[in-house]
Amino acid sequence: MGCGMGKSEPLLKKCHQAISAALLIQRWYRQHVARLEMRRRCTWNIFQSIEYAGEQDQIKLYNFFGFLMDHFTPASSERNLISHIFRKNEICRDTEWERYFCYKSIEVTKIYTGPHLTFPMMFCGVSKLVEAFKHKEQLHARYVLQLLGETWRLLRTFPNISHVIACHTKQITICGDLHGHLEDLLLIFYKNGLPSSDKPYVFNGDFVDRGKNSLEILLILFGFLLVYPNDVHLNRGNHEDHIVNLRYGFTKEVLGKYRVHGKKILKLLQMIFSWLPLATVIDNKVLIVHGGISDTTDLDKIACVDRQKYASALRPPKMKVHGCMTKMNENREREACGQWKAGVDSAPDHWHDLPRRSLNNTPVCSKLDLSVDEKLNRRCRLSGFDQARCELKNSDSYLESKTTETDLDEWKQIVDMLWSDPMPQNGCIPNEVRGGGCYWGPDVTEEVLRRNNLQLLIRSHECKQDGYEFCHNRRVITIFSASNYYEVGSNRGAFIRMGPDLVPHFIQYQASTTCRELTLRQSVGWTERSALQALRKQLFVHRSDLISAFQEFDPNNKGMISVTHWASTTERVLNLGLPWRVLRPQLVSSTQHGMMDYQQWIKELSITEPKLEISDNNILDTMYKNHSNLETIFRIIDTDHSGLISFKEFHQTWELLRSHLKTEISAKAIADLAQSIDFNKDGSIDINEFLEAFRLVDISAHN
Amino acid sequence: MAPKKKEEPKPAAAPAAPQPPEPERPKTPVFDPATVTLEFTPEQIEDFKDSFQLFDTTPTNEMKITYAQCGDLIRALGQNPTNTEIMNVLGKPKAEDMHTKMLDFDQFLPMHQHICKAKDCGTYEDFVEGLRVFDKEGNGTVMGAELRHVLATLGEKMREDEVDQLMQNQEDANGCINYEAFVKYIMAS
Repeated sequence: MGCGMGKSEPLLKKCHQAISAALLIQRWYRQHVARLEMRRRCTWNIFQSIEYAGEQDQIKLYNFFGFLMDHFTPASSERNLISHIFRKNEICRDTEWERYFCYKSIEVTKIYTGPHLTFPMMFCGVSKLVEAFKHKEQLHARYVLQLLGETWRLLRTFPNISHVIACHTKQITICGDLHGHLEDLLLIFYKNGLPSSDKPYVFNGDFVDRGKNSLEILLILFGFLLVYPNDVHLNRGNHEDHIVNLRYGFTKEVLGKYRVHGKKILKLLQMIFSWLPLATVIDNKVLIVHGGISDTTDLDKIACVDRQKYASALRPPKMKVHGCMTKMNENREREACGQWKAGVDSAPDHWHDLPRRSLNNTPVCSKLDLSVDEKLNRRCRLSGFDQARCELKNSDSYLESKTTETDLDEWKQIVDMLWSDPMPQNGCIPNEVRGGGCYWGPDVTEEVLRRNNLQLLIRSHECKQDGYEFCHNRRVITIFSASNYYEVGSNRGAFIRMGPDLVPHFIQYQASTTCRELTLRQSVGWTERSALQALRKQLFVHRSDLISAFQEFDPNNKGMISVTHWASTTERVLNLGLPWRVLRPQLVSSTQHGMMDYQQWIKELSITEPKLEISDNNILDTMYKNHSNLETIFRIIDTDHSGLISFKEFHQTWELLRSHLKTEISAKAIADLAQSIDFNKDGSIDINEFLEAFRLVDISAHN
Repeated sequence: MAPKKKEEPKPAAAPAAPQPPEPERPKTPVFDPATVTLEFTPEQIEDFKDSFQLFDTTPTNEMKITYAQCGDLIRALGQNPTNTEIMNVLGKPKAEDMHTKMLDFDQFLPMHQHICKAKDCGTYEDFVEGLRVFDKEGNGTVMGAELRHVLATLGEKMREDEVDQLMQNQEDANGCINYEAFVKYIMAS
C-alpha cells in the first residue's frame, strides 16, 4: 500500500491524509447511496400501493357482484345486468363454437396493407408477423381469428403441467411478465434469438394488460407456439383472466383495435386463457409458475384438475350439499375462501394491523335507504336466508350442478399458483394485499420442493428493480420481463438462460434509449416525480374526505393541523400504507413549528378538474375515486361491446355502485349527470368519452 | 494479526504488522445501549419510525429490520458513519448474522443516537483538503484513475461497481475531476 514502517514523517503524513480523504469520500458515498435507496423505496412503495389498492378494489367490486348474484331473484334487472359475467364457459359442442368463431366469411379487402398469413403456421409466417408488428402494422381480424382458433385447438391437447427435458445441446430461456410491452419482447428476441426447436422458451404469464400491445404479444407468442408446440411453453398468469382484463386495459385495447370483431376475439381469448397450462417443469427439477405456491400446493392434484372450468380465478365455485345451502356449508365455504369474502365477514383483528393495505370489511347490507339494499333486505326478511338460496338454486341455470369440496380445493390450488407472493418469514398466510392467494415463507418452499422432488422454483408476478431477485436461500427466483413498468427508468427487465446443468444465468435490459443514459440519481429522480404525481392525484380525489378528517383535529377552524395529525389522518383516509412523514418534504411546501395549512395544501396539489357543468362536488369526487370501478362496470354492462350504454343502464349501474360504495347521491343528481355527459345528445353514453371526461390532469406536470 | 482494539493512537509505532495507522481513533469499548440517553424530540422519533417502516420488509409489519439494513437506515436519516462505527453499535456481529439477525425500533434508537452524537461528519473544507492530497499539479483537479484506485484500496474499500457509480459522468475528456465540484456533487444528496 505504499505505507510502511520506517518511512519519513512527511510521507507518512501524506499517507495518513490519503486514507483520511478516502474514508471521508467513502462515508459520504455510502450516505448518498442510502438516501437514494430510501427515495427509490418510497417511490416504489407509492407505485406498488396504488397498484395493489386497485387490485383489491377490483376484487371487492367483484365480490359485491357475487353477493348480489347470490341474493337477487333471477328476474331482477340488476341481476341480469351482471349475470353474464358469472356464466361459466357455456357447454356448447365444439361444432357450435367453430361456427361462432368462423373467420371464413370475413373478407380481406385490397385496402388492407398488413401481413397476410397462411396456415398451417410456419416460421416464415411468424417472423413476418414480428416484423409487421415492429412496424406498427395491425393484423386483419380474419387472420387474428384464424390464428386464435388454431391456438385454441392446440391448447386443448396440452396437459395442465408442461414437462420439458433440458437437452444437452440446448439452453432454455425463461421470461417473466410482459404486460403488453412489445418493445421488451422484441428486445429479448434481439438479444436472445427467436424461439425455435434449438431455442426453447418458457413465458411465465401476464402477457397482457397495462401496456398498449398486449394483443400483438399474444399473437406473436401463439404464432410461435403453433410452429414449435414442443419448444414454446406458456404458463397462465393472473392477468390471463377476462374479468381482470376489463379493468386493466386489455379489453379496451382489443375493442379499440377491432371495432367490428373485437367481441368475438375477446370471447375466443377468454376460452384460450382458460386452456393455458398452469405450470412448466424442467427436468423434473425446476418448477415454473406465475405467482407461486402455498403450503397446500400439490402438483399431482394440479395435474388432474379440469383447468378450463376456471375462466376467471377470481370467484370460487359455489358449494352445495343436498341441493340447498345450509348455514354450515356457508361457514365452511367462508373458511376455505376467507380471503375472498371481503364484504360479508369482519376480518380477525390482526388483519387490520397489516401494513399498507387492510381490507375494508364493512358489511354490504348496512344502509337501508338505497334501493338495491332495500331489495336485498326485503328479500332476506321475507323469505329467510336459506330459503332464498334454495329458490335460486332451483330456478336458474347460473348455479351449476353440485360442486363439492374437491372443487373448492382445486380452485384454491389454482389461485395460489397464480396470485401468491413470497415473504421472508416462515409460514403461510392469506395475501391480503392483493386479495388472493397467499404469502408463503422459506419453510414452505423447502417443504414443497422436497415433497415434489424439485430443486428450484421460478416465478414472476412481482416487479423487481433489477428484473430479477433471489429469495428463500436462493431456492426461489422472481423473474420480471417488463422494463420501465411503473415509469420510464423505474426498473430493468430480465430473462433467464438455463442449460442442462440447470444453473440460471440472467440477462438484464431496459427498453428505452433515453433512460439507459441516465445516472442512477437521475433515473430515481424521474421515477420519483412520476410517483408523486400519481400520489397527488390520489390525494386530490379524496380531498373532501381529507378535509373533513383534518377538521376533526382543528376544532377552532384555524385551518392548521400538526404534521403528526396530518400524517396519521392522510393514512387513515387513503389507506395506502405509505410513509407520509418521509414523503412530507416533497408533498407539503412549508410547515411552521410543526403545523401546516391544510386548505392551502389541498389547493397546492395543482390538479385541474374537467370542465363539466356539474356543481355537485360529491358526485365529482365519487367519479374520480371510482374511475376504474366505473370502467369495469360499464364494460361488463356493455354486453355487445359497442362502447355505448343507455341511460337506463347507466342509472342501474349507478344504483349498483352506490350500494357498493354506500354514497349518498340522489336520483335527480344522477339523471342530471347522465344528461350532461350525453355528449352526442342521442340518448346513450359513450363509455370512453365519459371516462375521459373524468380523467384528472396534473397541471404541475407542465411546469 | 493486528490487535483488534487499539488503545491509543501510535503514529509511527512498530507493532508486529505494518498496518497503516487509522485516522479515526475513538476508544472502542463494547457498545452498551443502556448507557445512551435519548435526546430526540417526539417529532424526530415519529419521523424515524416512518423511515424505519420503509426498510421493514416483513409482510406482517413487525417493525423489524435486519442488521445489514441498520447502516443504510442511519445513513438515510442523514448521518454518515463509517462501516466500523456501524458494526460497533451493532455489537460487532458475525458476517453470517448480518442478514438473519433482526432488530426492532427500540433497539435501533440508541444505536442511532450514539452515531448522531459522534464527532465530526466532515465539512466541505475537510473534504476538499482531503482530495487536495491527490492534486499533483495543484490545479484543482485530480486524476480519476488515481481516485478510483484510492477508493478501492484504502480505508473502507469500495467495490468496483460502487466506484463506477460514484464517478459516473464526473471525469472530463482527460480523465480528470475538478474536486471542488465533485465534493459539491457528493454532498448535495
